Amino acid sequence: MFNKIEEYLDALKNEMKDADPALVLDALADAREHLSMALEAAREKTPDVNEAEALNSIIEEYGTPEETASAYKEVERRTSPILKQTIKPRSLFGYFFGVYVDPRAWGALLYMLIAFVTGIFYFTWAVTGVSISISFLIFIFGFPLALLFLLSVRGLALLEGRLVEALLGVRMPRRPLFSHQGMKWFDRLKALLTDKATWLMLVYMVAQFVLGTVYFVAIVTALSFSLAFTAIPFIQTAFPHTAIMYYNGTSHYFPVWSYPLCVLGGFVLWTTFMNIVRGVGQLHGRFAKWLLVSE
Amino acid sequence: MAEITAQTRKFQKELNAGTSSLVLLSVLNRSKEPMYGYQIAKLLEESGPEVPMMKQGTLYPVLRSLEENSLLESTVEPSVSGPPRRYYKITKDGRAALEEWLEIWKQTKKFVDTILKG
Repeated sequence: MFNKIEEYLDALKNEMKDADPALVLDALADAREHLSMALEAAREKTPDVNEAEALNSIIEEYGTPEETASAYKEVERRTSPILKQTIKPRSLFGYFFGVYVDPRAWGALLYMLIAFVTGIFYFTWAVTGVSISISFLIFIFGFPLALLFLLSVRGLALLEGRLVEALLGVRMPRRPLFSHQGMKWFDRLKALLTDKATWLMLVYMVAQFVLGTVYFVAIVTALSFSLAFTAIPFIQTAFPHTAIMYYNGTSHYFPVWSYPLCVLGGFVLWTTFMNIVRGVGQLHGRFAKWLLVSE
Repeated sequence: MAEITAQTRKFQKELNAGTSSLVLLSVLNRSKEPMYGYQIAKLLEESGPEVPMMKQGTLYPVLRSLEENSLLESTVEPSVSGPPRRYYKITKDGRAALEEWLEIWKQTKKFVDTILKG
């Protein structure tokens, strides 16, 4: 017997406690949408309906928490993020050089490039929003402004989650969890302010600025070094009088025998970097999940 | 109707695993407007048999997985009362898939019917 929608949601959450937190949020959002709409319909039909009874007959049709949980787990098992299906490496060597055919590595590289842009935007948005919201709180219109800003933080976090899932292959929430239905906007603001998730999202937005910059610098540095090494033989051959190094007035050239080593070195350097990128991508995914998906 | 055994329920569930995608796609294909989960559940309830074939809660994960495979697309719209609703709409890929699935369904149905008649 459930007397309130919240009780059902708690039971559902409990039933799914070993499932992915992002999947749980999706399931809760769906159940909340359905149950409150069905209850609303029941109320319209007979205004003096016994809510607990109506809710139980609705749940009878919707499914017990156990049934609902198993339905989500079942479907999730069949459709996990595309990036999760990676090629099984044959050996350590294969794993190292197989990085070029691993979609996770390319996804992570792209994500790290994008993080530079989004990081700047998040940081600007967060800092501007916080300072404007706080300073305008002395006016009446400061409150709705703060509410709008906090809601925008939630929205951006959801968007970032989609990006992380698409490029890093980490399961993130696919829909917002609204728990403030029927609240006055002032209560809603209070609920958002006291919700730990909002603050963690803000922390993420600020941290993303630092991380995005570091990622970008690392990519540019690694790319230039690798390209430079690979290009040495070609540059020395094409422009014979261009010394690679000047020291005490004498020019130093790479000897011809070292050409293959230079090319190989550049290639191995970039391959190593791609491997690091793959690892960092996984770490960032976990970091994003930790801050953006709160239980 | 007699007490439904666990085995029967499992059989029903396995059948539904395939048919629910087909049913949802065809419902959304026929509807001119985007629909939300509760609306679809109501529609199925009205046109379905007396004994519900599936729990309404199982529709939602299927809707989402169809969206994941870009056979459906969805938008969230706020509602006056209660939480926002997610409206689903069939995509071009979805229509193409539905056409193929219908063909498979027709053949499966014919095949099973022929076997059952003996």
